[in-house]
Parts: sequence; structure tokens; C-alpha cells
Amino acid sequence: MNAARPSPLSGLAVGAAIWAPLLALIFAPLMSFLIYGFFQVEDNQIQRTLSLETYREALTNPAYMRTFGKTVLLALQVSLACLVLGYATAYFVWRRPARWRAPLLFLLAAPLLMSYVIRIYAMRGVLGANGLLNGVLTTLGIVDEPVTAFLFNLTAVKLTLIVILLPFATLPTFIALERIPASLLQASSDLGAGAGRTFRSVVLPLSLPGATVGAMFTFVLAMGDFLAPELVGGIDGFTYGRLVFTQFGLAFNWPLGAALSALLLAVALCVVFGARAIGSARWRR
Amino acid sequence: MTIKTLLAGCCATALYAGAASAQEVRLFSFEGYAEPEWVDAFEAETGCSVSATYTGSVDEMFARMQGSDGADFDLISIDTSLFGRYTGQGLLQPYDMSKIPNVANLLPAFQDVAEAQIDGETYGVPIAWGSLALIYDNEAFPDGVDSWEALWSAENAGHVLALDDANNNVTNAAIVLGYEDPFNLTDAQFEAVKQKLIEMKSNLISYYAGFEEGVNIWENSQARLMFSMGEFQAVELAERGFDVTYAIPKEGGIGWLDTWALSKGAQDTDCAHAYVNYYLNGTVGPTMTELKGYGNTTSESAGLDYADRLVWLAPVEDFDRRVQVWNEVKAAN
Repeated sequence: MNAARPSPLSGLAVGAAIWAPLLALIFAPLMSFLIYGFFQVEDNQIQRTLSLETYREALTNPAYMRTFGKTVLLALQVSLACLVLGYATAYFVWRRPARWRAPLLFLLAAPLLMSYVIRIYAMRGVLGANGLLNGVLTTLGIVDEPVTAFLFNLTAVKLTLIVILLPFATLPTFIALERIPASLLQASSDLGAGAGRTFRSVVLPLSLPGATVGAMFTFVLAMGDFLAPELVGGIDGFTYGRLVFTQFGLAFNWPLGAALSALLLAVALCVVFGARAIGSARWRR
Repeated sequence: MTIKTLLAGCCATALYAGAASAQEVRLFSFEGYAEPEWVDAFEAETGCSVSATYTGSVDEMFARMQGSDGADFDLISIDTSLFGRYTGQGLLQPYDMSKIPNVANLLPAFQDVAEAQIDGETYGVPIAWGSLALIYDNEAFPDGVDSWEALWSAENAGHVLALDDANNNVTNAAIVLGYEDPFNLTDAQFEAVKQKLIEMKSNLISYYAGFEEGVNIWENSQARLMFSMGEFQAVELAERGFDVTYAIPKEGGIGWLDTWALSKGAQDTDCAHAYVNYYLNGTVGPTMTELKGYGNTTSESAGLDYADRLVWLAPVEDFDRRVQVWNEVKAAN
């Protein structure tokens, strides 16, 4: 037993090898941006004197807070839609014969191979006044004039994010479904449960944690996104992610951008830890 | 998201560093200043290759120059009102005018532009001028549009586009409100400008950043009116089959004179000087006017007869404050 124990020195080396890149690549940048929030901008220059002024501005300005609230609501709606649609899609794929599943999954994930910006522009082409959706609607005679309500508003942002983020909800759900042993389904049916009862009592409880974790990731991604709101959101598309982007990309106010991001980071961390708790609680059984 | 952004930033930095090879001039400009019609000939003649990055707004350009201390670009296109802002941050360096003999071709009006001279050194070479006027759809407005107020008029709700740029929006709103000096606003005027810009939002389809983006949104929406970034957008819309007019309303409109300025962080200054010199060779200017509709600085530009009705961009009282006001407008309900 003693012989099997590695020397403390090699343990330290392994620990350092794991932690050093982690510290350098993740924690150091995170700390640097949290610290930036304590700086201010005067005359286009970042003043490196520490104060709480920038954080106070970021967390109390009513316009910023309203934008934050609007974005939380948007992300909730997107993640809820992704949960439902993602579950339905994953369930559909899971019920196919085994040889169909891999190709279907690949099809679902294929959009991820495309550039994010191109996918958003594609959505603009679909939703626009002269776009695919309106073309179909007018050809079928459902509407007389092209509907402009699909593009350049919050609905467009939601639709775009749902379409783009759906794979992030579908794939974890599918994995959760795949992990359900076939013997449980057989046992359920042997004991006289019908398809509906088996779904409610066996499949759903065992797969919902995976689906929820997937939906939570779509929440975090939707919360921080700034490209879809910019390109399809029009006037309503000024979300929290855009607000942060503006501070870095246009206003040259890195301290304010960093302070605003801190709130985003806090929300994301809460959600990620929540997802972890849900995910592990189930599998420990 | 944070990590993704950081990674993107790292990759972008690496790309820029990789791109900065010898014999290259890296441009950071508005669209229309690096067209193949003259860039190909320039590259063949001088052996310098050209790489162009386009900006969506004045604000974005400054933020990116400031963020990298100018190291990412050799030449930038800035208008004459911005020299104080850029040199104040040490982002520019003076030209060696002996390497730009073609300045002799400049029209007299552009020979000694005072704003681009600091302490006897030349920091900017004028290359193009134009306006930020109103574009309207001829079919929707058979009688024409003669006032900026059309952008605010309730009957045009849902048909208006405006550019996403702090200084130009604040200045233009001040012009519409009839202020004597739209570049030095009082506190009360700032407040009125802010309210005016917020009012416009109920009519807007979207803000746009960049010439192409504005034209793209026009194509995909029911736009009829646009606060334009310049003549080029009208040219581009016409090419895509839209029947539009480019007009300076009765209140006036912003006029700009763009220059090439030499970045402090320029790597190949010889190629940079060569590109500026080539731009003034007497044929690039007229070609640009023909293709893009901007006025050039080496020959009279046919059709551009409205220079005296423009309010030429000048240095402003407080650029940060204008950016702040613009942010509040965009975040307002």
C-alpha cells in the first residue's frame, strides 16, 4: 500500500501542471477585468486610481438596470423555448432506430460548423420583408403584404437565438436519454405501464436534469450575446451584452464595461453552479 | 461568454500580429478608400500589399486605435475635426512630406488645411469630402423631402434608418434644432438634443453601423428615409435597384473632409507614404468620385455642388460626454 503511494513531490508537480495554466489563462484575466472595474475614465484616459465609483454607476444607473432586466427576461424566454423544443427534438431522435440516430444528430449539430455571424445573417434573410418566410406567406395567400414584424425587434432576437442555441439544449438532453438503461423501460412495460405512463414515471424524471442543464447553458449564452441583438434587433436590440460591447468597442470606457460585465459574470456563475447541482444530484443515485 | 470573448480577442490580436509582414500597408478606414480599381495598380507598381479593415463609426475607430496604441494599423481615415483628439492621445505621427510629392496635385482649397497641421508638421493629407445627408425613397415621397423633421414625423414611423455614431447624431440633432454652434453645446442644449434623439427612436427600424450594413437593412426592411453616412450609400442603393434621392435638407447637413493620417504604431512607413502619395496621383481621386460619389481633392467633382450648404465638422466641446449621451439614448425606452 505504501509502495503505491506517489511521492509528494510528483504530486505537487502534477498539481502545478494542472493549476498553473488554469490560473494564467482563466483566473488572471478574470481578476484583471474585475480590477478594471475599480478604475475610471477621464479625458479618454483610463485612470488607475482605485474607487467604487464605476461599480456604483454600473449597478445603479436606471437605464443600465432596465436593460439588464429586459435581457434577463429575454434569456429566460429563449432558454424555456430551447428546453421545450430541444427536448422534443432529442426525444424524436432517441426514438428512431439506432442507425438513424448518428446521422440525425449530425444534421442537428451541422449549423455549429458555420460561422456565427453567417447564421445570424441567414436568419435575417429568412425573417426580412423580402425574405423566405414572407415569400412563403404571400405565395400561400396567408398575408397580402410582407409582414415587417418578424425583423428588427425583440421577437427577431428571440427567434434567432432560439434557432442558433437549440443544439446546445438538444445534445445534453439526448445524452441524458441515451443513458437510460433499456432494462428500465422493459421493466416498466412488464409491470403494465403504457407508453405514456413509462414516459411520465421513468423517462422524464431521468432525462429532465440533462435537459435543464442544457437549457441553463442556453440561458447563459443568450444573456451575454451581443451580435444577434445588433444585427436583427433594431431599436429594441440594445441588450445588456450590447451595452457591455459598446463600452469596449465604441466608447473606450473599459472600466465601465468591466464593471457591467461583473454582474453578467455573477449571473452566469449562479446558473452554472445551479446546473452542476441539478446535474450531479441525479447521477449520484 | 467572457472566456469566449477573451479568446476571440486573443485570436484577433494574433491575426493582426501575423498580418503585419514587411511591404504592407494596413488601412483602417471607412468603405470606399481601398477599391481594387486603384489598389491593384498600386500593389503592382510599388510592391506594397494593401490590407483594409473597415470601421462602422468614428467612435469604433477611436476605441480600436486607443486600445492598441495604434499598433494595429498604418493609415487611418479621419476627418479634420478629430486631429486634436487623436494627437492628444499620441496616436499619430507626422508625415515626411518629401515622400509625398503628389501633394502638388491638391486643389488650392485643400493645399494647407490648418486642422491637419500641428507645430508646423503635417498630420493629415486630404483625400475625400462629402456629407451626411438624407436619403429618401422617391416613390414614397413624390414631392421630395426638404426637412430633417421628416425623420421625426409620425407618418414615417417604422420607415426610418439612422447611423449608430455618437458625435454625428448629436451634431445633426443640434443642427435640426437650429443651434448656432452645434459643436459647443450648453448643458440645456445637450438635454434637448438627447430628448430629440430619444424621440426619433419611435420612428426607427434600426440603427446601422457601416455603409454596407445600412444598405443591407434598407433592402431587408420597409425603409423610406435614412440618416446617411455619405454619398456612397445612395450610389449603392441605386445599383441595387432602389429609386432614391440624396438630399441636403433646408436645415443644412454635416460636411466632412477625410484625410489619411499616419498611425503612431505604423510598421511600414515607406509603404504608408507611398499609398498616400499614390492617392493624390490625379487619377485615383476622380475614379473614387465616379465609383463612390465622394468629392475628391485633386480635381473638381461634377455633381457635388452643395459644399456651401454644409456645416463642416469641427472639434467638439467634450467627446466623452457626447458618447455618454448617445449611450443613454440607445438604452432609453
